[in-house]
Amino acid sequence: MPSDQTVFITTAAVLIFLGVFAMSYSRNLLKTIISFQVIVFGANLALFSSGLGASSNLMANTLVLFSIVVGGSVEAVGLALIVLVHKKYGTLDPWKIRRLRD
Amino acid sequence: MSGEVALLLSAALLVTVLSALFSRSMSITLIMMFYASIVLGVIFTIYQGILVGLLHIVTFAGAVSVMLLTVVLMTGQTDLNIGKRSLALSLAAVTILVVGAASYSLFSAAPSSAQAVQTMNILAFIWTLRPWDLLILVIVFAGAMTSVINLLSKEE
Repeated sequence: MPSDQTVFITTAAVLIFLGVFAMSYSRNLLKTIISFQVIVFGANLALFSSGLGASSNLMANTLVLFSIVVGGSVEAVGLALIVLVHKKYGTLDPWKIRRLRD
Repeated sequence: MSGEVALLLSAALLVTVLSALFSRSMSITLIMMFYASIVLGVIFTIYQGILVGLLHIVTFAGAVSVMLLTVVLMTGQTDLNIGKRSLALSLAAVTILVVGAASYSLFSAAPSSAQAVQTMNILAFIWTLRPWDLLILVIVFAGAMTSVINLLSKEE
C-alpha cells in the first residue's frame, strides 16, 4: 500500500496536468477559468502533502493558505475579465474573439 | 490514517474533477466543481489541516462557486464547447496514465520529507518541499503537452 504522501502527490500531479490539458483544449473562457481552478486544487494538494511526512506541517499549511487566497483572487479577476469580453465581443470562444479583433 | 482513506478521497477528487471538465452542461460542471472543493477540503481537514480545509471550502465551494454562477447567469453560456469529446477523453486518459505512473514511480522511490532533512545538509530546506520535484515535472511536460493539444483543438 503506497503512503498517503505518495497518493496525494500523484493525485496532485494528475490534477495539474488535467487542468493544463483542459485549459489548452477548451474553446470557452469559462472552461478555462474552471481548468485554472483545477490547477489551483492540484497545487494546493501538492503543497499540503509536502508537509505530511515532516514532524510539523505548519509551513505547508501556511503556503496552502496563501495559495488559496491568491487562487481565489485570480479567479475573481478572470471572471470579471470574462464579463467584459462577453460584453464587447458577444462570445466566449477565444478563436472567434481573435478573428473579431482583427 | 490508513492508506485506503487517502486512495478513496483521491479517487473521489479525480472523478469529480473529470466529470466537471468533460461535461457539456454548465450546471453539471458547477455542481461537480462544488463537490471537488468539498472533497479537497475534507482531505485537508482529515490530515490535520483544519483551518486550511475550512478556508478552502469557504473560498472555493462558497465564494468562487457563487461568482461562477453569477458570471454564467450574466453571460448566458450554458453550453460548454469541449470540441471532440472522444478525443478529449482519450487524451485525458493518456494524461492520467502517463502522469500518474511517472509521478508515482518518482515519488515512491524518493525518500520522505523527514528522511530528506537528515540526509541533505546544505539544500535541505529546498528538498523538504516535495512540490519542487513536482514543479520540475510540470515544467518539462507542460510546454510540449500544451502545444500538441492546442493544435488538436483548432477548428478545421
